[in-house]
Amino acid sequence: MPDSDIVILGTGIHPFGRFDKTPEDLGVHAARQALGEAGLEWSDIQAAYLTRMYLPATSGARILRRLGSSDISIVDIEAACASGGAGLRQAVLAIRSGEVDTALVLGVEKMPRGFMDPSMIYADWQVRMGLSMNPAYWSMRARRHMHEFGTTEEQIARVAWKNHRNSVENPNAMYRKAFTMEQILASKPVCDPIRLLEICAPNDGAAAVVVTTARRARQLGGEPVAIEACAHTVARYSADFRCPADSMSATISNPGPTRVTSQKAYEQAGCGPDDIDCFEVQDTDAFCEIEICEQLGLCERGEGGPMAEEGHTEIGGRCPVNMSGGLISKGEPVGASHLGQVVEIVSQLRGRSGARQVEGARVGLAHVLGAGGNCAVTILAA
Amino acid sequence: MGDETAAGELLPVNEGLVTGIDNEPRDVQLLGSKCDRCGEVSLGANAVCLNCGSDRITGIRLAPEGELWTYTVIRHRPPGGYLGPDPFEPFAIGLVELPDGIRVMAPLAGDVDSFEIGCRLRLEPWILQSRDGPAYRAFRFAAVAG
Repeated sequence: MPDSDIVILGTGIHPFGRFDKTPEDLGVHAARQALGEAGLEWSDIQAAYLTRMYLPATSGARILRRLGSSDISIVDIEAACASGGAGLRQAVLAIRSGEVDTALVLGVEKMPRGFMDPSMIYADWQVRMGLSMNPAYWSMRARRHMHEFGTTEEQIARVAWKNHRNSVENPNAMYRKAFTMEQILASKPVCDPIRLLEICAPNDGAAAVVVTTARRARQLGGEPVAIEACAHTVARYSADFRCPADSMSATISNPGPTRVTSQKAYEQAGCGPDDIDCFEVQDTDAFCEIEICEQLGLCERGEGGPMAEEGHTEIGGRCPVNMSGGLISKGEPVGASHLGQVVEIVSQLRGRSGARQVEGARVGLAHVLGAGGNCAVTILAA
Repeated sequence: MGDETAAGELLPVNEGLVTGIDNEPRDVQLLGSKCDRCGEVSLGANAVCLNCGSDRITGIRLAPEGELWTYTVIRHRPPGGYLGPDPFEPFAIGLVELPDGIRVMAPLAGDVDSFEIGCRLRLEPWILQSRDGPAYRAFRFAAVAG
C-alpha cells in the first residue's frame, strides 16, 4: 500500500443507545474525547463537519459552539446512512487541498423510537399505500437472494447470533446480550423472512475523529492511523432497489453501490479485500451483512450465507466482520454510524479492542449503505 | 372546488402515476414513460429518462399483468399516513415484473401466505379513503384466477 498522507489522530464516541440528553451533550462528549486523544484543543481545528440526518439545520454550529468561539468553516453533511463517510471524505479532501491541515468530523444523531419517519424519504403516495417501511426493502432483497442462491433463514440468523455475541464485549453498544440461534429464529417476523432479533433500531449516539496530515501527526506524536481510502457514491439507475425505490428496471442491472464504492476505495488504497484484516459493515438487518460480504469481494456472489454459517466472519475467522456487534446490537444513530465503525477499526488497528480484538489487525475497512443507494467505504491502516 | 371534493370524488394516489379506464372510472391503469433514445421504461409520467437523461419520452400505459419477482409480508402497521384497513391487517408487498421491462413495487391483495416468486399477478384498483379528506385511486396486484 502507498503511504497515506492523511491520518486519524484522535477518536471519540458517545455510547449508542437512548439517552435523556441533547444532541449538544452527545456531540460535545465525542468531540472532546477525540480532541483529547489527539492531544489538541478546539482552537487547533481549522475545519469541522457535522454529519447527521435527523437533526435540524446548522446543528454543527449549534453543537460545536459549546467547545468555544471560532470562525472556521463548520458544515452539516447529510447522505442518509452514509453521512459519516461523506463527511470524512470532505475532511480528507479539504486537507489534501492544502487549505487546512487539521479537521474534526463529528457524527451526532438523536432519533425517535420505532420505524423511521417515512415522510423524510418516501413520497406521499408510497406512505398512503403502505410501501414506506424500510425493513420491507431489506426483506425483499433477502427473499430474492434465498430464491437465487439457496440462502437459508438459519444462515441469516447466524449473522445476528454472531453480532449479538460480539456486542457483549462492547461497552458502546445499546444491546449487549447474546442470544441462542433458537431464540433468534423464534423471534417474531418484522417483514418475512427478517425477524425482530435480526434488525437494528434507530437510536442516539455520537462519534468523532480528528483528521490531520501525517506530517503534523509526526510532530504531535500519539497513535496515528492512516486513511488509505475514503469513498462515497450514490447508486446508479437500477443498481439497487433500496428504499425509497418505487420500481426497478428488468432490463438493465448495474453493479450495486457497495461494489462500486468498494472498488473505488480498493483502488485508492492500492489493495484488495484479501489484504484487509477486519471489517465493520452495514447490518441494518442480518441478511444485509451477507449480501455486503459478497459485494465487498470477501466471497463469491451467492456464497455469503455459507460463509457466515461456517464461521469465517467471526472474530478468529478468515475475515472478521462486525467485531463491535454491528448496528444490530449497537443501534443505528444514522449520522454517527460510520464514524462509530471508524472508531472501532482504529481501536482494532491500535490493538486496543480487548476481548473483541482481531489478532494482529493491520488494515481495516468500514462500510455503510442506506436510503437512495448512498454508500461509503473507508479503509484504514496502522 | 368545494362541491367537487365532496364524497365520491376519486383522486389519483399520485399525479401522473395512475389513470382510470374509460367507462370504468373506478378501475386503474399504471402510467409509464418510454425513452425514445435508450428504450428504458420508467414508472409514472416522467419528463426525463431516469437511465440516460433524454427528454424525448413517450407516455405509455403499463401492462396489467406480470410475475412476482420478490416479496415480503408487512407484519406491523406502516409508519405515517398509511390508508389501508383499520384495524391493521398484515399484507404482502412485492416487486412485480411486467412485460414492459420494469418491476413495480406494489401491495399484493390476498392471503399473505399464498405468494411465491414467479406467480402470475394482475393489477387491480385499490380505493383508499382518507379519514377526513378525499378517496384515492391506488393500485395493487392480485393472483390471476385459475
